[in-house]
Amino acid sequence: MRVVSVSGAWGSGKTSLICELTARLHTIGNSAAVIVNEQGDAVYDQTFIQAHELQVRTIRGG
Amino acid sequence: MGCSLASSLVDLKKELKRNHNPDFLFIEPSEMVVTQELRDVTAMGLRDIHYDIGPFITLVDGPLFDFLWSERRSLLLGQVKDADLVAVSRADAIEAGELIKVRQALDRYCSKLITLSVRSGDGLAEVVKRVCGEA
Repeated sequence: MRVVSVSGAWGSGKTSLICELTARLHTIGNSAAVIVNEQGDAVYDQTFIQAHELQVRTIRGG
Repeated sequence: MGCSLASSLVDLKKELKRNHNPDFLFIEPSEMVVTQELRDVTAMGLRDIHYDIGPFITLVDGPLFDFLWSERRSLLLGQVKDADLVAVSRADAIEAGELIKVRQALDRYCSKLITLSVRSGDGLAEVVKRVCGEA
C-alpha cells in the first residue's frame, strides 16, 4: 500500500484529481482507497465508487 | 491537526490496510492542514503496519491564487514548502500572464512545480508518474 496525499484549498480540485488517478490506476489493475475529510471538495459518487471498487472513509474535521 | 484527528487517521489507515490492502491510499485532508503535519501523521502508522509513503501533492487553485496569496499566504506556503509536487490546478481557467505570475511567486518554495488541468489533461501524466513512483 502506498499512501498519497493530495492537499489544497476547498475547490482546488482534490477530489477531481483523486477520481482521475483512481480511474487510471483501476484500468491497469490497481486498487485504491480514499480517506477524505468530512468537508471534502465533493461527495464521491456512488456509481464511481462501485465502478472502480473504491474504498472511501471519512474523517471528521481532518 | 489535533491528537484525536491524528489518531483517527492512523486507525483508518490500519483498518484499510488490514481489511482491503489497496495498492494506493489517497488522503484528502482539510484545507487547513499543512504538509509537514500530514507527513508526521502519515509516518505514525508505520509503528504498527507497513506501507510506502508519498508523494505529497499540493494543489494551488490557479483562479483563486490572488486571494490565497494575499489572505492565506502562511497556510499556502505551509502546504507548498514540504510537498513533493506542487500543481497549479484549474490552469485552463486562467490567462497565461496570470500563470506566469503564480509561477514567479511560488517557484522558489517548490521542489517541483507544474500546471494541472484535470479537464484538459494538462499535467496529469506527470502526476501519474509521481504517484506510481516512476519520477
